[in-house]
Amino acid sequence: MTLDVFLLILRLLGIVLLYLFLMQVIISITRDLRKTAAANADSFGKLPPVVGHLIVVDSGPSKIAPGTSFNLNPQTTIGRGPTNTIQISESFVSAEHTRMWYRGGVWYVQDAGSTNGTYLNNQPARDALPARVGDIIQVGFIRFKLAQ
Amino acid sequence: MAKQPATSEIGRRHYRWKELGLLIVPFLILLLEMFQLPLAQYYKASIDTNSQLIPFSTSILPNVHDLVPILGLIAAIVVVHILLNIFFPKADQMLFPIVALLSGLGVLMALRNGPDASTGSDPNLGSKQLLWVLIGLVAFLVTLFALRHMDWLRRYKYTWAVLGLVLVGITLGNALRVKNLDSPTHDQLNFGPFALQPSELLKIIIVIFFAAYLSENRDVIAEGGFRLGPLTLPPMRQLGPLLLMLGISLALFLGVRELGLALLIYGIFLSMLYLGSGKLSYALGGLAIFFLLGFVGYTLFSYVRSRFAAVGLNMVNWQAWDANVIDFARNGAGLQVAQGLIAISSGGILGTGFGLGHASALVPVAQSDMVVSVLGEEFGLAGLFALIGFYLVLIYRGFRIAIEARDPFYQLLAAGLTSIFGIQTLVISAGNLKLLPLTGIPLPFLSYGGSSVIANFLIIGILMRISHNTALEREGLA
Repeated sequence: MTLDVFLLILRLLGIVLLYLFLMQVIISITRDLRKTAAANADSFGKLPPVVGHLIVVDSGPSKIAPGTSFNLNPQTTIGRGPTNTIQISESFVSAEHTRMWYRGGVWYVQDAGSTNGTYLNNQPARDALPARVGDIIQVGFIRFKLAQ
Repeated sequence: MAKQPATSEIGRRHYRWKELGLLIVPFLILLLEMFQLPLAQYYKASIDTNSQLIPFSTSILPNVHDLVPILGLIAAIVVVHILLNIFFPKADQMLFPIVALLSGLGVLMALRNGPDASTGSDPNLGSKQLLWVLIGLVAFLVTLFALRHMDWLRRYKYTWAVLGLVLVGITLGNALRVKNLDSPTHDQLNFGPFALQPSELLKIIIVIFFAAYLSENRDVIAEGGFRLGPLTLPPMRQLGPLLLMLGISLALFLGVRELGLALLIYGIFLSMLYLGSGKLSYALGGLAIFFLLGFVGYTLFSYVRSRFAAVGLNMVNWQAWDANVIDFARNGAGLQVAQGLIAISSGGILGTGFGLGHASALVPVAQSDMVVSVLGEEFGLAGLFALIGFYLVLIYRGFRIAIEARDPFYQLLAAGLTSIFGIQTLVISAGNLKLLPLTGIPLPFLSYGGSSVIANFLIIGILMRISHNTALEREGLA
């Protein structure tokens, strides 16, 4: 065997390995896609569960009547934009105002970069703050009570 | 009661088996190529002295010492993999193996190009690149740890914009100081042994600023400000910062002669504007303005014209070239492209074999700008396709992370950072293949260059942190 032949074998082996890796990556991508497709099929048509409520305590300058109740999903966004779970069409509410999520039995409240801010019990919620039932959440100038 | 099995199940599920499985073949590829390199050098040296067939014997096989650079890199990658397992079990598992392979191949290319490199020949290119990759891995981990709460990226968006402007100022000032705009390194800043390119950091900062700005104003921008016949223009007040960014890319384009960087920034701007507003008309309008500016540049600047002239080279009918064209391809701006294409064509389908091509000695700046032609010659069409496949998968994963992210800011950030890779790969490989004017931007991970490698690892770090945060948030659902 000459060196030429040995180098040719190495070269072919290298290309085979490159494509083996590409195949491996693509197989795991298709698996991943199937899994997400199955997960989406499972949740298709099912509404996200309601795990809590926000009850308006003080409607501020807005037209929302005090006592109005909003459903809370495990992932809830509040804002003026059309993509939010709870949409509030008031000029003092930012397009994406507040994010709330429920993890391990605890609610978390975080401001989503709003202009007028989000407050939990009068504390600014720039970083995520844990909230309990009965706490007062202020979105812009509207105050809500967190309820079961 | 029900909680106990749940936690143990989560604990089992969280070992990053997929990542480990995907890392094995890249390690084999890197070791194989490293093994092949000394053999190829021996082969080349012997073929120069006598043209007879060289017999194969085990005595010429490289020993473990020759494999040290790659063994060290593999060890570092394994350490990073273990750290990812401990601290970020839910981050995306496909990005890191691909990045490990690409950056390892980058080190191999530098090792291979170093002794041969035609310009600025530096035999230590390989060990330098290895050092940069190791620093990049550290930067990658630091990014993952530092971005625990990513909201500060969004909150200080104008700080980022100012920092970006400062970087542009430094680049421009440096270019004016150096004056020799034809040297390939005129946009570097030298700090002792380190040469930094502020432009590499600039692209990340620009994406962060765009993502923060667009996620806040996208409703207004998507609505459109006023109408001009059938056209809806973005509102002027929200257009301000975007125009500023256009100004930056033009300033670079004119001042530093960075055609590639201007192209990249404008490309990022267009793709993020489209992703943020969902309006195809803005992207098409921006593209029209781009072609207009390109035409203006073409008529005003001779160096732009010469780059376009290289695209017009007819390589197949080289017998029909007249003296002017021959001079252009031999001594002029056509040299790089012409030599690169000859190299790629000599590689054929399977390539000449790693370390056995001539591109790195004959093509100017083969180690960074023209690395595609070296790859094309030594790995052939088959290898080039595989590499393009890896980049496609990398970009696919990036956009997937963007889709899965919950917050518009993270979506735009991930998509914008991914489009950096996409645009860079497209522009530089199309430039090498004479489909676009050749511009000096690096091929992600494969081109030699410290700042570029570190910036790429920062991008991967941010992407993996976003995917980890998304998974953590989703876990709150269950």
